Amino acid sequence: MAGGSVFECKEYLFKVLVIGELGVGKTSIIKRYVHQLFSQHYRATIGVDFALKVINWDSKTLVRLQLWDIAGQERFGNMTRVYYKEAVGAFVVFDVTRGSTFEAVSKWKHDLDSKVKLANGNPIPSVLLANKCDQKKESSNNTALMDNFCKETGFLGWFETSAKDNINVDEAARFLVENILANDKGLPYEESNGDRIKLDQETVAAESKSGCC
Amino acid sequence: MLASPNAAVSCVLRVKDSRPVEQRDPGWKLFGKVPPREGPIKDPKRIQKEYETKSGRAGPGNPTSPRHSVRKNLDFEPLSTTALILEDRPANLPAKPAEEAQKHRQQYEEMVAQAKKRELKEAQKRKKQLEDRCKLEESIGTAAQIWNQEILPNWSTTCTSRRVRDLWWQGIPPSVRGKVWSLAVGNELNITHELYSICLARAKEKWSTTPAPSLETEAEDAGSSNRESSLELIKLDISRTFPQLCIFQQGGPYHDVLHSILGAYTCYRPDVGYVQGMSFIAAVLILNLDTADAFIAFANLLNKPCQMAFFRVDHSLMLTYFAAFEVFFEENLPKLFAHFQKNNLTPDIYLIDWIFTLYSKSLPLDLACRVWDVFCRDNEEFLFRTGLGLLRLYQDVLTTMDFIHMAQFLTRLPELIPAEQLFQHIAAIHMTSRNRKWAQEYEALFISHHLASAQRMYHTLPHTEIPVTTQTQLRFEILCCQHSF
Repeated sequence: MAGGSVFECKEYLFKVLVIGELGVGKTSIIKRYVHQLFSQHYRATIGVDFALKVINWDSKTLVRLQLWDIAGQERFGNMTRVYYKEAVGAFVVFDVTRGSTFEAVSKWKHDLDSKVKLANGNPIPSVLLANKCDQKKESSNNTALMDNFCKETGFLGWFETSAKDNINVDEAARFLVENILANDKGLPYEESNGDRIKLDQETVAAESKSGCC
Repeated sequence: MLASPNAAVSCVLRVKDSRPVEQRDPGWKLFGKVPPREGPIKDPKRIQKEYETKSGRAGPGNPTSPRHSVRKNLDFEPLSTTALILEDRPANLPAKPAEEAQKHRQQYEEMVAQAKKRELKEAQKRKKQLEDRCKLEESIGTAAQIWNQEILPNWSTTCTSRRVRDLWWQGIPPSVRGKVWSLAVGNELNITHELYSICLARAKEKWSTTPAPSLETEAEDAGSSNRESSLELIKLDISRTFPQLCIFQQGGPYHDVLHSILGAYTCYRPDVGYVQGMSFIAAVLILNLDTADAFIAFANLLNKPCQMAFFRVDHSLMLTYFAAFEVFFEENLPKLFAHFQKNNLTPDIYLIDWIFTLYSKSLPLDLACRVWDVFCRDNEEFLFRTGLGLLRLYQDVLTTMDFIHMAQFLTRLPELIPAEQLFQHIAAIHMTSRNRKWAQEYEALFISHHLASAQRMYHTLPHTEIPVTTQTQLRFEILCCQHSF
């Protein structure tokens, strides 16, 4: 924790969406990130699941990430869009072993941008995750292609991730949070969201608090 | 066939419970794994006796020892080896000083006392569990007999009687569960085994003509357009249906059955197709019914108005159900309702999972089956009542939580939920609000939603823009709605 400077510590609460096609590994990435666990046996997510990650960002900053793990089936679209409200960041996930899930990325991104915006009207920061990279067959180098795709579709960047082998999950999260914080400069959580959840130190202490910092 | 799926589940359930029974061997086996090589193994009872006579402690010779009498009642004797501590040091070593020996004896006595206390507690717990299990099994046995011999042969006359309703509430015995579900759900759609075979054959035809999903990252233009109905979704979800049971996964005994039922349904109702949540429902039915009967129950269950509304993802109907749920929520649990409102925790956050999977994903399987028992009889009203029962059961803990903790709690309920307690809480939920029953409340909300949108359309759009037939239709709808009040 921030040592004795608890009272100077700025606390942020960020709602982050995790979206993408069915079975691309959204739940696995979250479980890896929050609980440092991986299992082959996750159940399909119906509706939405939740996770909370508390990050001691630096000695003066505490970040609470509310992760919204949203069911991937297109059919739920109308119903799950209400979950986008007030999000300040997003991961769009696809499965490198299934081409169709990459094709759907633009659709998810477009959907996201049309349903939620930052206060200043800009799209919320989003990061593309190419998951299951441990199962990738060919090691073709398409970095340039992907960089270009991100630029065109408005992603801040992309990461090849593997929830199974714990590759790049923390890095991607750190990258997204950095960008959210940059957007949120001068808007600490208490001032911007005064009437929402009140933090008490006991709860904070009880959460998982490993850091990517 | 009927018995084996049940056996699979009850086997899974039994594994959890059987341990305490087998571990009832007496004796405290701290050093018990490797017996000393030389000399005959001392009977722990004898060691204890020796020790107790040596130290002049209350032993078997002292019948007034309260602990002893308690132990006798339990038919259980916690014992410990004293061999290591109490034997004198070997002759070639200097003897223990008196105070050290005294100290060791004292420490040892404390350890034994603690161990005994712990063992006694555990033994009592085990005994209680065993008794409960026996009682439960006995009552299941008796109930099964009643269902088989008295209720099922005279179904049409008995099924609505008070006595049967009470028995029903207590849970249908697993051996007749599938039969009762089938009867209660009915077969309004008149699906025959032949129709199932036809649908399945059509599904198989489709599977064989659809190329196997490629694992390469190449463009699949064909796949993207009808991604929704694609059989790939079913395949992906099957392995994620009750993964802990290990029977629906690739290579598991019910993998193909689950695949068949879901595939056949997409051919039976291409307009609905496959929607996530269905795999859990089909799986629960498979565990209790033969394949074709499971399909019949599946199609008829999904055909219920509430299930149709959800699986077609009819947004406005779903919102109407949520609104009705909230009316009864506020009525029954006003304090918690206010807490939810304050935290912006809306029913769409937790009810979607509960309703889509009929609780089979969120509750332990045996408890989910008990919810299904009554759901098959009382329809969707019982689903929402169960939801309120859960909220009532966890009311105290929920009111201490903030949004994210409540959301996490409700989307991942505790693994151990006390069944009897939950059903008591469900029973305590009143499904009447302002003199309206659930169905009336839902209808009223439905009509007012409908009326509002019809009126909005009729009044806001310039009439020249609405075709005459639509105008008439809207006027008619408004009239109908107003009259039904």
